[in-house]
Amino acid sequence: MGIKEVGLIERALSLLIYGLTSLIGVVAFLYPFWLPSLPAAMLIDRAHANDATLLLTVLVFLCFAVLLLEVQSQAINTKTVALLGVLVAINATLRYIDNVLPIPGGFSPIFMLIVLTGYVYGGRFGFLVGALTLLVSALITGGVGSWLPYQMFTAGWVGMTAPLCRWLVSGHGPIVSRREVIVLASFAGGWGLLYGAIMNLWFWPFATGDLTQYWQPGTTPLDTLHRYALFYLATSLAWDAICMLGNILLILTLGAPILRGLRRFHTRFEFQYQPLSAEQVAGQQATP
Amino acid sequence: MKNPLHPLTWALWLLADLVILSMTRNPIYLGLTLCWIAVISVAIHWAGIAVNPQRLLAPFHFGLVVVPLAALINALNVHIGVTVLFVLPRALPLIGGPITLEALVYGLLNGLILTCIYTAFALVNQVLSVRAMVGLIPRAYYPLAIVVTIALTFAPLTLRQLQAIREAQAIRGHRMQGIRDWLPLFLPLLLSGLERSLQLAEAMTARGFASTQAQSQHRVARLGLVLGLASIVAGLWLHLVGPSASAGSLLTFSGIASVVGGLWWIGRGQARTVYRPTPFQRQDWLVATAALCPVLLFLLPLFDRTSLFYYPYPTLSLPEFNLIYGMATWGLLGPAFLPLRRSIA
Amino acid sequence: MITFEHVTFFYPDRPLPALRDISLQITAGEFVLLVGASGAGKSTLLRLINGLAPHFTGGQLRGRLSVHGLDPVLATPQIMSRHVGFVFQDSEAQFVTDRVEDELAFALEHAALPAPAMRLRVEETLDLLDLARLRNRSLDTLSGGERQRVAIAAALALHPSILVLDEPTSQLDPQSAEDVLTALVRLNSDLGLTIVLAEHRLERVLPFVERLIYLAADGNSMVSGDARSVLHQIDLVPPLVQVGKALGWEPLPLTIKAGLRFSQMMVNVPAPSSSPPPQPIQPSPTVLQVKGLTVQIDTCTVLHAVDLTMRAGEIVVIMGRNGAGKTTLLRSLVGLVRPQRGDVQIQGRSIAGRTVAEICRQVAYLPQDPNTLLFADSVRDELWITLRNHGLETKPNAGQVIDNLLATLRIAALAEHYPRDLSVGERQRTALAAILVTQPQLILLDEPTRGLDYAAKDQLAGLLKGFARAGKAVILVTHDVEFANGLADRVVLMSQGEVIATGSPAEVLSPSPFFAAQVARLFPGTTWRTVEDVLVGVCTSGQATNCGG
Repeated sequence: MGIKEVGLIERALSLLIYGLTSLIGVVAFLYPFWLPSLPAAMLIDRAHANDATLLLTVLVFLCFAVLLLEVQSQAINTKTVALLGVLVAINATLRYIDNVLPIPGGFSPIFMLIVLTGYVYGGRFGFLVGALTLLVSALITGGVGSWLPYQMFTAGWVGMTAPLCRWLVSGHGPIVSRREVIVLASFAGGWGLLYGAIMNLWFWPFATGDLTQYWQPGTTPLDTLHRYALFYLATSLAWDAICMLGNILLILTLGAPILRGLRRFHTRFEFQYQPLSAEQVAGQQATP
Repeated sequence: MKNPLHPLTWALWLLADLVILSMTRNPIYLGLTLCWIAVISVAIHWAGIAVNPQRLLAPFHFGLVVVPLAALINALNVHIGVTVLFVLPRALPLIGGPITLEALVYGLLNGLILTCIYTAFALVNQVLSVRAMVGLIPRAYYPLAIVVTIALTFAPLTLRQLQAIREAQAIRGHRMQGIRDWLPLFLPLLLSGLERSLQLAEAMTARGFASTQAQSQHRVARLGLVLGLASIVAGLWLHLVGPSASAGSLLTFSGIASVVGGLWWIGRGQARTVYRPTPFQRQDWLVATAALCPVLLFLLPLFDRTSLFYYPYPTLSLPEFNLIYGMATWGLLGPAFLPLRRSIA
Repeated sequence: MITFEHVTFFYPDRPLPALRDISLQITAGEFVLLVGASGAGKSTLLRLINGLAPHFTGGQLRGRLSVHGLDPVLATPQIMSRHVGFVFQDSEAQFVTDRVEDELAFALEHAALPAPAMRLRVEETLDLLDLARLRNRSLDTLSGGERQRVAIAAALALHPSILVLDEPTSQLDPQSAEDVLTALVRLNSDLGLTIVLAEHRLERVLPFVERLIYLAADGNSMVSGDARSVLHQIDLVPPLVQVGKALGWEPLPLTIKAGLRFSQMMVNVPAPSSSPPPQPIQPSPTVLQVKGLTVQIDTCTVLHAVDLTMRAGEIVVIMGRNGAGKTTLLRSLVGLVRPQRGDVQIQGRSIAGRTVAEICRQVAYLPQDPNTLLFADSVRDELWITLRNHGLETKPNAGQVIDNLLATLRIAALAEHYPRDLSVGERQRTALAAILVTQPQLILLDEPTRGLDYAAKDQLAGLLKGFARAGKAVILVTHDVEFANGLADRVVLMSQGEVIATGSPAEVLSPSPFFAAQVARLFPGTTWRTVEDVLVGVCTSGQATNCGG
C-alpha cells in the first residue's frame, strides 16, 4: 500500500471519528429537546426514562474521550507538548488570578487565549488548550468537581471552532488588521454567551429536575426550547452577558499585540525536520 | 501514612457514589448516602489521612445553601401537583401558576442529590494529591498527562514571573489604570513562556522524548472506535425511533464496549512504565468490591426497583424503603474503616 | 568517539553558514572545553553532537559526523539520547516535573525501563551527583547550582557515555558554578565520562581540561589542542593567563598556585603605587542617602540598619552571599519594598509616600532578567513606552533624547529590530535604554553580568564608566569578582542584612581570600587588581621588555 493510500485511510478514519463523535455528542447533549417528542410509550416507565438519561450522559462522556484521543494523536509532538504545557500553565494561572480578584459575574479571562491560540495554531491545538486549561486550573485549586468534564468539553469546543474565523478574515506576519481583532472579539463574545448557555443546559436537568415532570406526550422540541430559554433568561443571562462583554473587551484591547507575538513565534515553532532520503544523504556526504 | 488507598480505589468509590445518585430519587437512600459520606469524612479527618484537608464541615455547608435554593427553583418552575400552597398570577412568564408542595419536595430531592455529589467530590479532593490525580489519567492519554505535568510544574513559575514583571514594569513608570494596562504585564509573560517552551521542547528532545507516535499501530483500534461509534448511532436510532428496541439496545451496548475496548487497546500501545507504582493492596480490593455491590444492585434489575424511583407527583406520598437497597448503600462505607487498619497495623 | 569531518552547517533561511569546514576528533574520556565569542557557533557545534541540529533546529548539514559510531543525523535525537546527555543553560526551562526524583525518572519512564531497573538507576544517579539528601525536594526550592546538578543527573540517567553542556554555569553565582564544575571534573576523572563543555568562565575548569577548542567568530576557523598551546593563540582568556602571556611566563600557569611561583620570583615589584583614584576638584553632590534602613518581610528582618551615601559620579558595587539582602536593598531604594524604619533620600527628597512610578523618574533600576521589561515591537518603541508611562512623550526633544541614548548604548542600528530576537547583550542594552530614557541621576543594576561573555562585560564596564563620568551615580550588585574589581570606586559587603564592610576595592576586596581578583592574588601587597594595573606597574618599573603593547 503506497503512502498516498495510507494517508487517505488516515484522513477518512479521522474524519469519521470527528463526524460521529460530533453527531452522537450533539444529539445526546440535546436530549431534553427531542426526547419528549418520541412516542409516549417510551416514557411511561419512569425507570426507562432514567436509564435513557443515564445512557445519554455516558455517551457524551464517551464521545469526549474519543474526540480527545483523536485530537491528541494528530496534534501532539514534542514541541506541541511543551508549548501546550506552558500556555496551559499561563491560562490556568490567569483563571486563578481572576478567582482571587473581585470581578463580578461570569467574567473569565481564559477565553481570550483559547480563542487566539486556536485561531493561530489550529483547531486541534485550541481544543487542547481549552480542555486542559480547565483541567489544570481545577487541579491547582483543588476543585475537581462533577462539572469539570462538561467544562472541559465546552471549552475545548471554543478552541476548536476558533479557526472558523479564518473564513471571515485572514492575516499573516506581524500585521494585525483592525478587522481581524473585531471578528475575533465578536467570536469570543458570542462564545461567552454560548458557553454559559451550554453549561446551563448541562445543569438544567439537575436544577429543575427530571424533565419527565412536565413532559406531556407529544411535547415538541419548540416547547422545551421555550421553557429553557425562559429559564436561561431568568437565571444566568446576566452572568453570561458579563462574560461576553469581558471577552469582547479583552480581545479588543489586548488582542492585537498578543496575536503579533503568537504569530512571530509560529514561524520559529512550525518547523518539522524532513529526513533526507538515502541518496540525498550520500550526496551530501560526498560534497566536501 | 497519608492516604493508604490507591487512587483508583477512590475513583471507583466515587463512581459508585455517582451511579447510586443518578439511579434514585428516594430521600431515604439519598439520606443514607449523605450520611455515609459524612461518616467517612469524620473518619478521614480523625485519622489525619487527608492530603489537603479542609475544615471538616465545609463541604456540607454547600448543602445548607443548595437544598433550599433547589427546592425554591423547582417550585417556581414546575406547576404540577395536588397540594397547592399558593398561587402566583398566571401572567408571569415562567413562574406563574400554582406553587405546589410536590414541586417543593422534588426540588428538595434535587438539592439533596447535588449536595451528595458535591461532598463526595470534595472528599476525594481532600484525600488525593494532585500527583495522584494526574496518575489516574488513562494510559491512552499519556502525552496529555505529560502536558498536564508540565503545566503544573510551570504554574508556580508563571505566578512568580508575573510578580517580577509587575515590578519591572512599575520601575519604568507603568501604572494600572485600565484594561489596556494589563498588556505590559501579560505580554512579557506570554512571550517568555513561548520562548521557554521552545527550550523545554529542546531539553525534552535531548532526553529522548519521541516526536510522534506511529499512527499505523493504532489503525485497527481506531477502526474499532469508528465501528463502535457507528453501531451506537444505529442502536440509538433503532431503540428510540425504529422498530426493534432490543436490537437497538444490543447494538448500542456492543458499540460502547467496542469503543471502550479500542481506547484500552490504544492505551496498551503506549510504551511506558511507572517509576514507583502504587501497589494495589488488600484494603483496595476490599473497598473496591464493597463499592461494587451497590453499583450492581442499583443498575441491574435483580430486585424490585420501584422504591428507587420515588416520584412525589401527582400526590405526595411517603417513600418506600426496600431493605436490600438500604443495605446496599452500606457498601459505600469501605473507606471509613481505614483508620482501624492504621491502628491495627 | 566523536569525529567531525569537514562539517559545514547552515541554519534555515540564512545565507552564511554557522559552522564552516570544521574537523575535529574527540577521544573517549577526554574533558574538552569549547570557547569562543557569542555567536561563534559553539551552541551549533554542541547540538550537532546529539542531533538536535538539524532535527530540532532545522538546517542543512554537509560533511560527515560520527558520534559513538552513529550518525546523529540519521539516528534521531531520541536514539542519540542513550549515548549523549545534554545540559542547557537555563536551569528553569529544562524540567518537566517539579520534584527531583520524578525528574530523574522521567526519561527512564519514557524509555519504558522496567520498574526495578529504574529504581536502581535513579539511586545510582542520585549518588553520582550527591543529590540523595535533596531527592524529595521540590525543584523550585533548590539553588541554581543544585538545579543544574539535577539537570546533569537527569541527562545521565540513561547512562550515556558523553555529556555535552552548553554554558551550564552562566546564570549561576560563583558558589553554585563551583559546585557544578567540581561535579563535572569528578564525573570525568572517576567515571571516564567524555565531557564537552562550552563555557565563558574558564578560570575554574582550565586546570582539568585536556583539550581546548576555540571557535573564531562566525565559525570560520577553529583552533584545537591542549590547553596551554591554544591559550597562547587566543585573546579570550582569564586575567591570570593574560598576565602570564604578557610577562612571558612559561609554562603558562593555569592556577593561582602556579602563577604565584612566577610572581613571587619577580623582583622589584613596586610597593603600592598605582595611581590613587583622582580626587574630585569639588565634592560632587550627594545623590543618595540611606540612613538606618530596616526592612522586615514576614517577620524576618531582611535588612538591618543599613547606611549608605553616594555622590554623583561614583560607582558602588554591593557584594555578598545569596540571601544577604542585596536585592532587597536595591528594591527598597526604588520603593518596591517599604522599610519599617529608616529613610531613603534621593537628591535630597525622601522617597516615603511617593509611588514607584514617580521615584523611577530619578532612579533607573535594571532587574536581573531584562526579559521582564521588553514587549514592544521595536527597540525604539520600548523607549517611547517608558516616556509615555511617565507622561514625557510630548516633550519637544523626546525624539532627540531617544536617538542620543540609542547611540550611547550602541544599539542605534537595531532601533527597528524586534527586541526579543536580539542577543543577550543587546537585549540588556535595550532594557537599559528603556529605563534610562528619563535621564535619571541614579542607576541601579541587579546582577547585570549574568550570561555575558568577556567582550560584552567589557562593553558594559565601559558604558557604566561613561555614565559615571557624565555625573550619574551607579550602584551595582554582582557576584562577578573580576568585574567588580575593575569597575568599583567603592565596595559594600553585606551579610545577613547588614553592611559588614565598606571601602575602596583595595581595602575591602583585595585582602579577602574570597573576593580578591586573580591579579590581586598573584600580587598580594600591591594595589593591582586588573591586568592593566599589572602591565602599567611592570612597565614603569622596567620589569618586562614587551611594554607598549
